[in-house]
Formats: sequence, C-alpha cells, structure tokens
Amino acid sequence: MEAANEGYAPTATTVTQLASADDPREISRMLREQPVHRIGDMFTLVTRRSDVEDALRKAQVFSWGAVGMNLGNVRPLIPLQIDPPMHVKYRRILDPLFAPKKMALLEDEIVALVKELVDAFIDKGTVDFHEAFAVPLPCRVFLRLMGLPLEDLDFFLSLKDDIIRPPGITLEEQNPHREAAGAKVYEYFEKELAKRKAHPTDDLLAQIIAGEVDGEKLTDEEVMDICYLFIIAGLDTVTDSLDCFFAYLAQNPEHRRQVVGDESIIPSAVEELLRWETPVPAVPRCATEDVEVSGCPIKAGEQVMILISSANTDDTAHPGVDEVDLTRNPNPHLAFGGGVHRCLGSHLARVELRVALREFHRRIPEYWLPEGTVLEYTPGLRSLHHLPLAWPVAR
Amino acid sequence: MRITLDTERCQGHGRCYTLAPDIFDADDYGHAVLLLEEVPAGREHDARSAVENCPEQALAIED
Repeated sequence: MEAANEGYAPTATTVTQLASADDPREISRMLREQPVHRIGDMFTLVTRRSDVEDALRKAQVFSWGAVGMNLGNVRPLIPLQIDPPMHVKYRRILDPLFAPKKMALLEDEIVALVKELVDAFIDKGTVDFHEAFAVPLPCRVFLRLMGLPLEDLDFFLSLKDDIIRPPGITLEEQNPHREAAGAKVYEYFEKELAKRKAHPTDDLLAQIIAGEVDGEKLTDEEVMDICYLFIIAGLDTVTDSLDCFFAYLAQNPEHRRQVVGDESIIPSAVEELLRWETPVPAVPRCATEDVEVSGCPIKAGEQVMILISSANTDDTAHPGVDEVDLTRNPNPHLAFGGGVHRCLGSHLARVELRVALREFHRRIPEYWLPEGTVLEYTPGLRSLHHLPLAWPVAR
Repeated sequence: MRITLDTERCQGHGRCYTLAPDIFDADDYGHAVLLLEEVPAGREHDARSAVENCPEQALAIED
C-alpha cells in the first residue's frame, strides 16, 4: 500500500520542523492522518503511537547500526549504533553507572550548581537563559561526572555543535565540519586515556575504563566510542529540554504559577513538558528485513524516521494529549525513546530538570520574555540559540 | 489486585518505582523489580498509575 498523502505532503524538511516549528504539534497532527509517509526514496516516516512503539521495540528489525548517519565518527558510537545482541553487553556496563539511585546522589551537587548559576544573574533582572543556564548546567554536571576539566568545556561545546549543528545546509557542506570535529574528539580522548593509565582516577570515565564484558575489559577504542557518544548525547539534550521548558513556562504564566505554587507537581510537570516539547522529536532506523508498518511495506535496507513527537501527541492512543496538563496521569510518553535504546542518561536528565525547575522558581518565580522577543527553535533537536528572560528586581 | 512484570519488556524507564516505590524497586541496572505482587489495600491507585505510566507496557494488572 502506498500512502496516499492526500492533502498533506511532508518533505525531508518536515522532520527538522518537528524541532524548529513554533508549534510542532500541529505538524504532527497532520502527519498522523497517515500512519506512514514515504519521502521520495530517502526515508519513510512512522507517525502513530502504536507503530512508533512497535518499531522502537523491534531493535533488530529497525536497526540503529545500519543507519547511514554521519556524526563525524569513524566507528559505530557505543551503545547507540550497536544492535542487539552486542548492544546489551555494553548496556550491562553503562546502565549501572546511570541508574536512578546513583543519579539521585548527585542531587545536592546539582542544587548547589543551580544556585551558583542563578546567583550570577538574579540581580540583573534579565538574562539569556540559554547561555547562562541551559548550556552550563548539564555541561558542568557532565564534566564533573566524567572527571574532565571545566576549562575544556568550550572546546567540547564547539565540537558538539560542529557535529550536531554544523555550518552549511547540504550534507556536502556539513560533513567536513563533522569529520574535523570527530577527529578532534578521538584525539582528545586518546590523550585522556593515556593520562588515566598513568594516573588512575575515581570517576565515571574510570568506571567505564574498568568495565568488563564477559570478563574482558573494553578496548581503548570502545571506551573512546562511548565517550564520543557522551559528548553528543550528554552535552546537548538537557540544554534543549531546559530551553524548551523555560520558554514554555515564560509564555504560559498559569502553568508557571502552578509549578511555583505546588512543588510536588514538579516530577509530573517534567514528564509532561518532555512529552509536549519532545526535544528529540525523531530517531532514525534502518530496516534489516522486509517488514510492514500499518500495512505499508518497507524493504530491507530502507531508512525509517520514527516520529517520537508525533507519537507523544497521538490522541487516538491517549485522549486529551493535545493540551498541556502538568499533573497528567497516566503519561507514558516516549520522550526518552523506547526499547533497548531507551536514553541511557534519562535518570540523570530527570534529576537535572526537576532540580532546575524547583530551584530556579524558588528564586525567580515570575519572569517573561522581554517585549519584541522572537524565539527561533533549532532544527533537528528542539533547542534555542537564545532565550532572553526578564523578571522584577527589587531596587 | 495483583501486578505482573514482563522483564523482557522492561527497559528501565523508571516510571513505576518513582510513582509507587513501596511496590516497585530498581535493580542495579535501573530495571524494575516487583517488591509486592499483591497490592496492599489502599495502594491500588498508585499501583494502577505505575502500570499505566509504563511506556513499554511491561506491567499488567490482574484484578
């Protein structure tokens, strides 16, 4: 069955607009009129909750490893671009390091960091939230965890940006930036691993180096392939989420006051804003065998885009999901993906997001976008280059 | 009310043990562990909520 695409014909750019549009929910709604859309011979979009869930669950049929995506890397990123059964071996090492009880131990430190960041700008009555909060918070937590020097932060950020959001529009323009940044990532961690061998440390990186699969230590290359992924995945997505959350709350005072007025709703508010904004709106996969999605044949070797954001607002699966309810229950959203590739850092992300919402609003309960502000969301991953906020200051 | 956990389906999202920590726990990998199969009286609401919030549909209720 060929999708008829009547009325609404998405293009390759539609996927990026699920991040960059002012209201991606509207695009998702139109996309869901068909369960799948074929975008020329490039890829097929999977739009509905049940199909998205199914595709995420079948990690061997809808493979990450077979996706031809250039992230500047020369070997597969671990564990993301590794398919089962090998994938599980890496997750057995990594999952305990990011388990919720471990992440909960970081809360006090994250509280202190949030207070420090807010202290730096609270008296000014205005700030670029993206630059002064959304970027430094997760990045500093990450560097501390990994035992990497804070002064290398700008270096990592520029590499991460060159990989995720390189200059240029076409792949021909963008890929050289990705590859150059990738070469620097490998070079950095090669030196770092040599340093660690001479002077062992006691941090997350040390635990990864010490990790064993079936009684065998990871090779230096495997450790580097994990670090490479961490740079991409660990330095961007919480920043994206913070930008999305605070932009939403700045523009929706009734919801912001709900958070300020009752901190006990923060855990569910985090889940709801993750669902609503879905900072990682689409994840690529490649079919490893001939398969059907809602009756539409997909051949082995074809690329598929699984539209998480569209699944998260699919009201045929869960009624009422086309509006924000910070106390929504149940809310089984897929913002962290699903199946074996469920976001490794999700428990860390949740601690950071909950603490940020609580501590920021204790200090700055009322804020808004300064007049004339136009928010420009970024394509691919939903983030902002700038998020100016203003609040009253006692003089 | 009884709860069943499909450990093959569980991917460690952690929603259940956050919502009902007296009924579910996390193992070292962050995957769910069932502490009580039989839901105590008065805890049905949170148990049901944990089940319904699982994005993997790894939990089920047998009334």
